[in-house]
Amino acid sequence: MIETFRQVLEQTVARLSAQATAWLPPLFVAIVVFGVAWAVAVILRWLLLHAFKGERFDAFLRKTGIGTMLDHSGRLRASPLLAHAIYYAILLIGLLNAISVFDTDITREIVDGVVHLLPKLFAAGAIVLAGIWLAQYLGRGALLWASNEGFPWARRFCAFVRVVVVFVAIVVAADVLNFARTVFFSAFLIFSIGAVFAACLVLALNHREVYRWFTASRSRQQESEDERSLWHHL
Amino acid sequence: MAQDILSPEARQAIEKLGHADVVIGIPSYNNGRTIGHVVRAAQAGLNKYFPELRGVIINSDGGSKDDTRKQVLEAQIDPAQLLLLDTPLNPVHRLSFPYHGIPGKGSAFRMIFQMARDLGARACAVVDSDLRSITPEWIDLLLRPVVHRGYDFVAPYYHRHKYDGTITNSIVYPLTRALYGQRIRQPIGGDFGMSLPVIETYLKRTDWETDVARYGIDIWMTTIAVARGFRVCQSFLGAKLHDAKDPGADLSAMLQQVVGSVFSLMIEFKDVWMRIHGSREVELFGFRYDVGLDPIPVNLDRMIRAFLRGEADLREIWSLALSDATLRQIAEIARRARTAPAVEFRIPDELWVSIIYDFASAYAELPAARSHLVRSLTPLYLGRVASFVNETREMNAAEVEDRIEQLCLAFERLKPFLVERWGGPRVDEYRPAPAARPGQPQEVSS
Repeated sequence: MIETFRQVLEQTVARLSAQATAWLPPLFVAIVVFGVAWAVAVILRWLLLHAFKGERFDAFLRKTGIGTMLDHSGRLRASPLLAHAIYYAILLIGLLNAISVFDTDITREIVDGVVHLLPKLFAAGAIVLAGIWLAQYLGRGALLWASNEGFPWARRFCAFVRVVVVFVAIVVAADVLNFARTVFFSAFLIFSIGAVFAACLVLALNHREVYRWFTASRSRQQESEDERSLWHHL
Repeated sequence: MAQDILSPEARQAIEKLGHADVVIGIPSYNNGRTIGHVVRAAQAGLNKYFPELRGVIINSDGGSKDDTRKQVLEAQIDPAQLLLLDTPLNPVHRLSFPYHGIPGKGSAFRMIFQMARDLGARACAVVDSDLRSITPEWIDLLLRPVVHRGYDFVAPYYHRHKYDGTITNSIVYPLTRALYGQRIRQPIGGDFGMSLPVIETYLKRTDWETDVARYGIDIWMTTIAVARGFRVCQSFLGAKLHDAKDPGADLSAMLQQVVGSVFSLMIEFKDVWMRIHGSREVELFGFRYDVGLDPIPVNLDRMIRAFLRGEADLREIWSLALSDATLRQIAEIARRARTAPAVEFRIPDELWVSIIYDFASAYAELPAARSHLVRSLTPLYLGRVASFVNETREMNAAEVEDRIEQLCLAFERLKPFLVERWGGPRVDEYRPAPAARPGQPQEVSS
């Protein structure tokens, strides 16, 4: 009994020792690689924050409205944006290098997967960003039209336009990533059909208000003929 | 080199005529009812006041569905009724051609200017085709300062009803005056006289296919003439009575075209207006007299409703241009307007000036949002008009003019804040040059 116990203990120690001998050096190297990457990332971030002004990029962010889209306060600047982007990019590269040190099937698969996914991830990110920008632009256009026309739910209409455009962007991004394509497409179809139903329901439930708006817009057209000089004699 | 936009028929007509001393341009679109009167007045004006000159009347038509062009070519006057002192040496030629390009007044003017230049005209006047109050004297008043006094640009000066020309009174006149320092009372009047150098300056420009092609043309012409340092004057034309334009037109788009043109030109002529402080009178020709004016009906409630709707819906877009403090003031005005009677509705001058200056600045800073910004100005503009109607309800014409003068002075007083926001010196360091005398050249670095 004691002999058996001793043998089991020795085998366990030997196995642990073998595993430690096999895994500890790569783990140590991985930690060092990741640590170096982290240090480089921190230094680069500091340098970019202090040396890079990026005034042209700031102007681009401001003029296109991307700055206010990403940060509502409008204080978004190019140098912290770039510094953080590079910081996380280096961390990711460091992490992938650290993982690849182990040289196993699983780590190879992870690294290959991430490397192949990254371009698609960037493309999907760009599509979503462009979708949000477009949603903001079209939403404002819809809001202005609805408000100037006296449409009773101008802000809701604007929000609806935005949701639709962002949803389309997400569906396209999911398609690029090959991620739950069917799910997103089905969701989009359900959403579109649901929106049509909802619109019909809203019209049916508020038919009096809609009718009033419609007749008001017609009488407004008539009124505007009476008041046309106010506008047309510029 | 300016782009040639003339049709082969127009080019042929120019070759046949060879030369003209003065040109009268009349843009039109479905104005068959009124254009005959305008053509007769123009012809009588040329015969009576410029008998020694070779005159041409050019109608630039936007594809009228009625008999506009026929009316132009068939309009007749009886010379015996004009009691002419001098027999005209040359017959007045009349031409009518459709223009090509973006439909609008600006495109029509472009064709007229190109024909005037190719005919070598010393002076050109443009008049609207829907005028009911035009007389032969208008032609004299628009052309004589150019032909005989060496002026380059003649702006009109009319008597108008106090509720007429509200875009002029509340935005375009005070803003143009504060920016460029010249008190041109009707900068978008629609009837102008100009010299050949001014026409050549217009034709050399590349922005014809913007808002300039439509309602932006009038302020574009005036601003370029002033900012480029041409000699500018005004002529008193009496009352302006004319037909309303297309009632189905998008009102917001009209405001957008005029204000968008003003703001675009602010960007181009930034170096000119940032150096100017105050304003000066611009010489006014013609005999001033009082006239009866058509009353303008105003629906105050509808304008206030539009303002309140805008305040509720458009804060997101306004916040791109306006500061938090300005937005709070607007919200406070809206809150009071929801409970107080419509006749108490007011938007103070200082707030209105801040709104316009902030929108102009945001227009320059945010190119991607320009169209939204200018369109979102409509409810604020209607609110301001409602306020103006309330303030001037009991006023006569002279008192209303004083009221507009106060607004203009507010625009001039707050201009240093605009200059600072556009990258000029801080308000406390602002030491600009006084406004140039009319006709005095200004340096333009753009």
